[in-house]
Amino acid sequence: MEGPLANDDTMIDGEAENLSEEMSASESESDEDVKLTEPSKTAVYNRDALLDKLGDISWPENVGWIHTLYIDIDQEQEVDVNDDFTRELAFYNQAFEGTKQAYQKLQSMGLAFLRPPDYYAEMVKTDNHMQKVKGRVLAEKRKMEEAEERRKAREAKRLAKEIQAQKTKERAKQKKQDIESVKKWRKQRQQSGFAALGDDADLGFAFEDGKSFERSKGKRPGVSPGDRSGGKGKQAFGKGKTQKKREFRNSKFGFGGRKGMKKQNTADTTYDVKGFNKGEGKGNNKRKR
Amino acid sequence: MGKKRKHSETADVAVPKKDEAAPERPARTLLGWKDKSEVNGDVEYDDSPVFRNKEKVLVTCSRRINYRYRHLMLNVVSLLPHCKKDNKVESKETKGATLNELVELKNCSSCLFFECRKGKDLYLWMGKCPNGPSVKFLVSAVHTMEELKLTGNHLKGSRPILTFSTNFEKDSHWKLLKEMLLQIFETPKDHRKAKPFHDHVFVFSIVDDHIWFRNYQIDVPHNETDKLPRGGLEQMNLVEVGPRFCLNPIKIFGGSFGGPTLYENPFYVSPNQIRALEKQKKSGKFAKKVKAKTRRKMHEMSNPLEPDEFAEMWKE
Repeated sequence: MEGPLANDDTMIDGEAENLSEEMSASESESDEDVKLTEPSKTAVYNRDALLDKLGDISWPENVGWIHTLYIDIDQEQEVDVNDDFTRELAFYNQAFEGTKQAYQKLQSMGLAFLRPPDYYAEMVKTDNHMQKVKGRVLAEKRKMEEAEERRKAREAKRLAKEIQAQKTKERAKQKKQDIESVKKWRKQRQQSGFAALGDDADLGFAFEDGKSFERSKGKRPGVSPGDRSGGKGKQAFGKGKTQKKREFRNSKFGFGGRKGMKKQNTADTTYDVKGFNKGEGKGNNKRKR
Repeated sequence: MGKKRKHSETADVAVPKKDEAAPERPARTLLGWKDKSEVNGDVEYDDSPVFRNKEKVLVTCSRRINYRYRHLMLNVVSLLPHCKKDNKVESKETKGATLNELVELKNCSSCLFFECRKGKDLYLWMGKCPNGPSVKFLVSAVHTMEELKLTGNHLKGSRPILTFSTNFEKDSHWKLLKEMLLQIFETPKDHRKAKPFHDHVFVFSIVDDHIWFRNYQIDVPHNETDKLPRGGLEQMNLVEVGPRFCLNPIKIFGGSFGGPTLYENPFYVSPNQIRALEKQKKSGKFAKKVKAKTRRKMHEMSNPLEPDEFAEMWKE
């Protein structure tokens, strides 16, 4: 069909498919698409015929740009194939540049080229598919946010723990100091032979006057030092009804709890006249009427 | 179907045909087809004679094609509104003739044939019919539009903007490939199924002697359809729609699916050979072991050990 291939690069016989020479290039990179390290010497390259064919199929020269809509972009640097990121970036830049130039041309031609937001027509991906895409994007975002939150919470917890540790340390130190100061005071008093009762100078030390007292007071309000009932803690436990019950029982039976549930008229108590007259007070007075 | 002529010839014929416009329907050529305005009397001559892109692409595949490659083919079909999808073709030795016949039957001017061999390797044949050149590519790095990471979307049938890297001008075979890609992938201007706006862009670029294809959606915030807002281009954003693939040209033939070889890729290694080399490397392990054993034996035989003085010590 074509004219005689009178070129130096052409093969003599048509078995150009037999690329057995490439077996020599066994030092190929372990890639899916392996390249020969040296070009096969039997490769055909008929430049004239190629250009001929090109002339055959091309559209005429004066076809308007609007038919072909193509832009040539210069690729400045050599892109490394294996570096995915820069390669994709190069493609993106090429597309960006091309679009810019094309849009400027289209704008100068006065044609409509931007899709209005209310133009509803069939898209190349279905709505269902786009829903899935959206779902995935949202899921990823949520995951990231959760990870962020978890990290922040961990940090905050760590910080809070540190602060708390510091506080407890301080309190322990303070407590120790207080106890030590009391001990010292006692020792001093012992040493000075309990003589310096009126001596305020000795007293004016490490109590930090009122401060520690107040602190302990602040901790357990309403508890006097002589109280052995277990303090507010016990009372605060049973609020409301149980507290009232407790109070009533305490008042009725005093310490020791309910004596009434035990047997009253036993052999021993028949002849027990201890509580006769004085017992009246015992029975009645303490009960709150 | 009109006689297919070279473009240079029709230029002369189109002019005398103008007079016969009213009585007779003119023959249908790539440059023919009267424009309505000419019938009315006022002739437009911005490109003379009037050019009409009547490209039609036939898209088929071979039997036993992989699911991923079938989806790629379907994606390509949705990208090209000027294509016709046909049934699977038996991949026999005479596939060139079969394909040419099919193309003639369907009245198409070019063809994209996805051939899958061994269920693993995809070869793409791209050819202009009936006498145009054809190319065989090896396709790799396939990502279809269904992948959820490719989030863009565009109108089905809108005309794309094509961008080629200037590498395509470097050599004659690249120039030929560029022309073919242009004609096949660009939707004709007044096609029935073409939609009006331009909202996506194709990227063809040559890296490492492979042709890489990308498809991006153009996202520009705007108010009017024919004017960019001020600063609009700065806020333009490209989102990838897909599909993605990488073409490795193997051979360029002078005829449609046959004919003299015009170009062979000197660096091409077929995937079968790659697999064979791998196997050889692996099989080499055993052979090496056997060799090493025999070598050791020979060595031992040729240098006998001196008798050990303590060998008899524990024997009774």
